[in-house]
Amino acid sequence: MRTHRLTRRQVLQGLAATSLALPLLGRKAFGAAPAPSKVTPGLIEAAKKEGEAIWYTAVDLPVAERLGKAFEAKYPGMTLRVERSGGERIFQRISQEYGSNLHKVDVVNSSDAAHFVVWKREGMLAPYVPEDVALHYPKDQQDPDGLFATWRAWLCVIGYNTKLVKKEDAPKSYKDLLDPKWMGKIVKAHPGYSGTILTATYQIARDVGWDYFEKLSKQKVMQVQSSADPPKRLALGERAIMADGNEYNLFQLKEKGDPVEIVYPTEGTPLIVGPTGVLKDAPHPNGARLFQSYLFSPEAQKLMVDFGGLRSFHALVKDKEGRTPLKDIKLMKDDPVAVEKQADEIKAKYTSYFKV
Amino acid sequence: MTETARLDASRAVLPLFAGALFLLVVLPVGWLAVFAFSDHAGHFTLSNFRLLVTDPSFRDPLVTALALAVSVSVICSAVAAPMGYLVARTDMPFRRPVRLLVMASFVTPPFLGAIAWELLAAPNSGLLNQLYRAARGADPDVVLFDIYTFWGLAFAICCYTFPYVFVLVANALDRIPADLEDASSMLGGSAARTARKVTIPLALPALLAGALVAFLQTMTLFGSPAILALPAGFHVITTKIWSLFQYPPKPELAAAASLPLLLLTVVLLRAQAKILGRRGYTVVGGKSGEVRPVALGGWRWPAFAFCFAVLCLSVLLPYGALFNAAFSRIPSQPLTFSNFTFSHFQFVFQELSSTKLAIKNTFYLGMSAATCGTIFALVIASLTARAATLGTRALSFLATAPIAIPGITLGVGLFLAYTRGPVVLYGTLWILLLAYVTIELPAAYQQLQAAFRGISGELEEASRILGASRLGTLRRVTAPLLGPSLVATWCFIFVAVMRELSAAVILFTSETKVLSVLIFDLNESGDLAAISVLGLTMLVLTAVILVAANRIPGFTGGMKLGRRI
Amino acid sequence: MSSVILRNLTKRYGTQTALDDVTLEIEHGQLVCLLGPSGCGKTTALRLVAGFMSPTAGEISLGDRVVSSPSRTLSPEQRNVSMVFQGYALWPHMTVAQNVAYGLEVRRVDRATIAKKVAAILQTTHLDGVADRYPAELSGGQQQRVSLARALIVEPETLLLDEPLSNLDTGLREEMRFEMRRLHDAYRYTSIYVTHDQGEAMTTADRIAVMNAGRIEQFGSPEEVYEEPRSEFVARFLGGSNILRGKAIDATHLEFAGAPIECHGVPLAAGRDAAVSIRQHHIALSNGVSRPASPNAVQATVVRNVFLGSTRDYVVEAKGGSQLRIIAAPEQSFAPGTSVWVTLPREHCRALVS
Repeated sequence: MRTHRLTRRQVLQGLAATSLALPLLGRKAFGAAPAPSKVTPGLIEAAKKEGEAIWYTAVDLPVAERLGKAFEAKYPGMTLRVERSGGERIFQRISQEYGSNLHKVDVVNSSDAAHFVVWKREGMLAPYVPEDVALHYPKDQQDPDGLFATWRAWLCVIGYNTKLVKKEDAPKSYKDLLDPKWMGKIVKAHPGYSGTILTATYQIARDVGWDYFEKLSKQKVMQVQSSADPPKRLALGERAIMADGNEYNLFQLKEKGDPVEIVYPTEGTPLIVGPTGVLKDAPHPNGARLFQSYLFSPEAQKLMVDFGGLRSFHALVKDKEGRTPLKDIKLMKDDPVAVEKQADEIKAKYTSYFKV
Repeated sequence: MTETARLDASRAVLPLFAGALFLLVVLPVGWLAVFAFSDHAGHFTLSNFRLLVTDPSFRDPLVTALALAVSVSVICSAVAAPMGYLVARTDMPFRRPVRLLVMASFVTPPFLGAIAWELLAAPNSGLLNQLYRAARGADPDVVLFDIYTFWGLAFAICCYTFPYVFVLVANALDRIPADLEDASSMLGGSAARTARKVTIPLALPALLAGALVAFLQTMTLFGSPAILALPAGFHVITTKIWSLFQYPPKPELAAAASLPLLLLTVVLLRAQAKILGRRGYTVVGGKSGEVRPVALGGWRWPAFAFCFAVLCLSVLLPYGALFNAAFSRIPSQPLTFSNFTFSHFQFVFQELSSTKLAIKNTFYLGMSAATCGTIFALVIASLTARAATLGTRALSFLATAPIAIPGITLGVGLFLAYTRGPVVLYGTLWILLLAYVTIELPAAYQQLQAAFRGISGELEEASRILGASRLGTLRRVTAPLLGPSLVATWCFIFVAVMRELSAAVILFTSETKVLSVLIFDLNESGDLAAISVLGLTMLVLTAVILVAANRIPGFTGGMKLGRRI
Repeated sequence: MSSVILRNLTKRYGTQTALDDVTLEIEHGQLVCLLGPSGCGKTTALRLVAGFMSPTAGEISLGDRVVSSPSRTLSPEQRNVSMVFQGYALWPHMTVAQNVAYGLEVRRVDRATIAKKVAAILQTTHLDGVADRYPAELSGGQQQRVSLARALIVEPETLLLDEPLSNLDTGLREEMRFEMRRLHDAYRYTSIYVTHDQGEAMTTADRIAVMNAGRIEQFGSPEEVYEEPRSEFVARFLGGSNILRGKAIDATHLEFAGAPIECHGVPLAAGRDAAVSIRQHHIALSNGVSRPASPNAVQATVVRNVFLGSTRDYVVEAKGGSQLRIIAAPEQSFAPGTSVWVTLPREHCRALVS
């Protein structure tokens, strides 16, 4: 597969340019981000001329579609096409498409922050910092070069069906899932298809150990693909316990009245961040920027939190009533660079245990 | 109009179509072969194949797929052969509705059936398991059926593969002239003896052919295993090939893993040709005599009950489950007044932004693949049916060859062929059109070739000698005579396009999404209700198209086709 | 002037030779029958003229154009020939009128002319009442006439007829022979007519080419090929002949069953094996007691005697074991086993090319 590689000459030129530019402008090395951009009438006009924006995203489909509709309502004349798929499949699709010189995507959101490490390295992203990001987002949730920022965050949690499992019997930790009484009762998503689960698998393997997965694989686990799937299987009553899956799906289901409950494991809960960025070769560059700005606006973030059950880093957006705030949960530490390096190894090891 | 100009127009057709076929068939397979023997940097290597036989993560899926295919083939034969006999040769009640429902199961995409069976027989949430537990007052742990097992998968595949065997057997039995059976009864053979000694042996080649088709279909099937085998914790060869496209994609290994599938198919098809070729299979083509049904007596209703049970499993229950899920707030709950909802329809048609695109793409692709495929097959059949030269034999071979290429393999091959120059088609609907036409060409070609044999060559010669060119004759004489066969072929391709997932799942992009891929994607995130809505939509769309196609004026109605000379 | 010329025409399929170096010239307006048993190459010759296949060697000219040669074969639609097929090849999806009009439509003749010509030809072929019927609704004879009308209406340079009457009942077939001849006399298109029925050939043809094993054995008027067969095959194939075999005594005598039989035709070479033909009905039978006046007579024993109404069909065995078949008057009857004299009139004994 052909990927975007910078030629040696381009790299040298780039290096020369930075080394010249830095002392002149007196900026910090990581401060190459462009100035924050407001949504100007000019941008809206230009976007409307393009008429469309295409968003590849790993966020849950109803959330994505709802956001798209809200965007279209706010900017009449714009169409937003949502392409929802698992994070790993989005990554695979984009590399397939870019390998064939097809530039179909304007804005991309993945559930695997490591993907942005790759896309940034390959020069596929455009620098663009929406005003909201510059004003209201913590610095550690922004790319220093302004190529992407954390659009959403969520947890990968354990869950159970309250009709099938009593609260006092419910597992409290990952270790609890290895109890023989859960044999054949666990559903679990796959790191080969889901970015969330890849990240979570990395963190759990690091903090709990690979032997946890080895033992879990003996529990006759029902293996599904996306991290959005286990919560739904749980709600259907297909399995009593989910070993991993999206917290936000469980929020949605629980608030709809489905018999599901969230467990934050005692060993710590993997925190997943889902950055969003604009592609350099976006077919609708203005539409892309307009949508990127919209995604980080308080209204979109609020919709995402309230309807989608996600966590926002926007300073002005608060968690919904009744949800455990992040500060009360013991979190595992995120490390996209390590995930990017070890992705293949993690998937291979996982497959050797779970056989799929 | 000069003589040479007219000469060229007709003469050019053969090389033109040979060239087109070459592009369709040889190019993707060629790339497949090149990649299979290359390493990542493009140098020649055998290491892909070494890995294939030594690494258990490749070997196991192949073995599993073989076991699965044998099981499905045996079960399908055991179920479909008696059904075929009952429908074709006995006085069982409701024979026509039975045939019709078998067709309904034939047009059901296997992946849709697999999802429906998830709704029915997932161990805990499956409707059948819930009903069973409720009826027996049993523990929540008691499971009647578990679809997420090897046998569950085999069963779900059988439900949508048995029609192949059924159709072949029933058609063969339909065509056995009654006098062959009469001859046996005249000599004092009882009804059972006649069936055993005459009817069944005459239908045996068809049964064998059917079993083989079932085997091949299962080997090359992607959708059902992708949906059911993954939760069950195993791979088959097709899902394994697909997983090789995960990042970082390994097209070399995928190509290498596709080749055994290709070889196996070629070998089995040769075997089938041998089986069918040896006995005078065409003897079973006499038009003499009415078929006198065998009287079943007291067994009439038990026989019907058997057929009904099979149809329940393959059509009635699954569509019932889809219907239930489409309207019920929670797909796993039986529909009642209190949980009835239109919200899933609202979601699919108003919120889901890919729905319209996928329906439009599927519709356009179905129409154009059916039209192109039929025309393509018609021209090739017209060239090959009347003359057996070296050129036409090669053409005939090329037109039949794709039958040996599993959908997923062709998908990989087309992907490799059209993601690099000179023509980059990946990302357009054209590449899907190519895939569909290539996949369906053999069946279309064989159908039309058979139809050609039913039309005397003199009818065309008469037109030629009166001054019409080869193509003019095809248009004015042959095509109208083939009318019903053409419509049937068109419909066949259309339905097949609706069913196709394995090539599409490799070749689609966001703009070229089709219904089957959309359903597959929705399954990934567990949106069963949306799938049910789309599945029902697909069924309705198919039904509408089929009914409309059979009403095309001038084809089936009003023409007096009394005598086929 | 010749209208159709086959020059050294040869057609081979692999090692099989269907047509072997055939040369034939057909004059303008003539109807020539290719007569022979099945597999003799007559249909191959016809299909070569039609342009459905290319010759292996030799060439075909229609008028002053070479239309077929191994290097270049004009396709059928470029030859201005038309053809009547053995199975009629009527298009079942078109009415009689549509079938007949087809050739004119292909030639882009205007509608009014087509209507006029169709009406005229349907009248000539006695089909005026059935113009709007479909072929499946016609009798065999009517279908045959539609096929003929369809071929005639385009006014072809050459008309080809492939066993046109073979699918009809006996009575109808005999009637249609005269009809074919009548139509030929009316239109006088140069025609090639393939048949295996000598009666049909005799009735319809201006000239007959008798074919065997891919070759033309004899080409001549019906009288010539009948009365003066040049080969044993022609003699046998046209109206039951007996072949007498023996050693030639001199140029006009052959020894048969111990008697010298005088004959005419090709001079015989003394001492060589030779063959003489005589028609079954030219042989006379008389009782075995008194020797007939003619010196051309041999003694024989009756083997079979079948009464056929207007004739009796005998098989007799001459001295030396040769059997002869004789058609005789019914009045006189000789029982099997009876000894008889067989008279072979000199003027009917024709020496054959060996």
